[in-house]
Amino acid sequence: MPTLMIVLVLAAGLTAAACDEKLSKLAGPTPNLEPTFSSIQAQIFETTDSAGRRACIICHTNVGRNPSGGLNLVHDGAYDQLVNVASARKPGATRVVPGDAENSYIIHKVEGRPDIVGVQMPLGGPYLTDGQILILKRWIALGAPRN
Amino acid sequence: MTRSMTFSLSLAVALLLLSAPPSFAQETDDEALKPAEPDFTLISLPTALRLPKYKSAFRVTHRFTRPLGSGDFGDLVADLFGIDSGAAIGLEYRFGIVPSGQIGIHRTNNRTIEFFGEYGLVRQGQRLPLEIAVLASVEGTNNFKDNKSPAIGAIISRRVGAQAAFYVEPIWVNNSNPLPKQVVDHNDTFMIGLGTRIRVRPTVYLVAEASPRASGFKDGVNHASFAIEKRAGGHQFQLNFSDSFGTTMAQIARGGSSSKDWYMGFNISRKFF
Repeated sequence: MPTLMIVLVLAAGLTAAACDEKLSKLAGPTPNLEPTFSSIQAQIFETTDSAGRRACIICHTNVGRNPSGGLNLVHDGAYDQLVNVASARKPGATRVVPGDAENSYIIHKVEGRPDIVGVQMPLGGPYLTDGQILILKRWIALGAPRN
Repeated sequence: MTRSMTFSLSLAVALLLLSAPPSFAQETDDEALKPAEPDFTLISLPTALRLPKYKSAFRVTHRFTRPLGSGDFGDLVADLFGIDSGAAIGLEYRFGIVPSGQIGIHRTNNRTIEFFGEYGLVRQGQRLPLEIAVLASVEGTNNFKDNKSPAIGAIISRRVGAQAAFYVEPIWVNNSNPLPKQVVDHNDTFMIGLGTRIRVRPTVYLVAEASPRASGFKDGVNHASFAIEKRAGGHQFQLNFSDSFGTTMAQIARGGSSSKDWYMGFNISRKFF
């Protein structure tokens, strides 16, 4: 029985010692990116990352210009411009459909799918990495909360 | 194929585990050959076979990566049933550290290293018609630097004379999903390994196993595999067919990519006692 105890303690230790794949590794050039709106706003919309992917608000802003595509992603208005809001360019498309990343037009745009109007975003690249897009999708899949 | 195989295995295992044994001969000599349970693994799943103290065993696993259903039969023959393709290869060594207790290491050529331990709790005998062992493992990708996936489970087996052995193996695998928990619904898998080895000739066996996932992360299809095996002295030579390449617990939990894709492979094991 002492041996059994050793085995069980070892098993418990191994379980406790296990560490999940780090979100920061998946997030790549935006290591602090999380599937929350505030994080996406800060890390994607407002920040040019270390890979050279440009901040969205360089073009999608109403400061000194008309926002590209009619989409304003500046801090206070971005959420209300995205969630359950129809695309200004593609009839019938919704920018973010809470709980449905596959049918959210923002995902189509950042992935450069064939059905998009215009070109893949960010304009001219570098584009979001697969990991960054996965985190964006996860926020949408969780219901796109204003968190 | 996978679902029917799983159902058949479940039914067979349930019937055999519940049926009354003809006799319960006490077997305590772990160095003696148990004809119904000659090896430490079925195909990928472990058995309850005990490794004598300070003895060891080695195993090599191959899963050729060419799907057997790709192209027509002529293509398959031209590729020598997949042998021309690359393979998922595993090397394993286990050692008996205490009576009824063994530890081991298994490395696959995608740079996953698994450390495992197994301890025999209950012997099949007069008290109970079942053999019960517990197992624990932890594996890590990138030579154990990334993505650690621990697993714990039990192996419940029943040998029927010298002819057959049946297995039920509830196993929980943590971090079976390679993605971070923040971006997935399920990060763990609870699976129930089912398996059997039937001795059809004095040294020839038919082997089958499946690992239906009961809950948690269920990527792809459930792991399933069948094989024919030849025992030669301390060696087991096994030709197997599987719907996945998994040979470690997390790999088995992740299953295969498609129920339509089956792959040929082989295991060779050697006992050093």
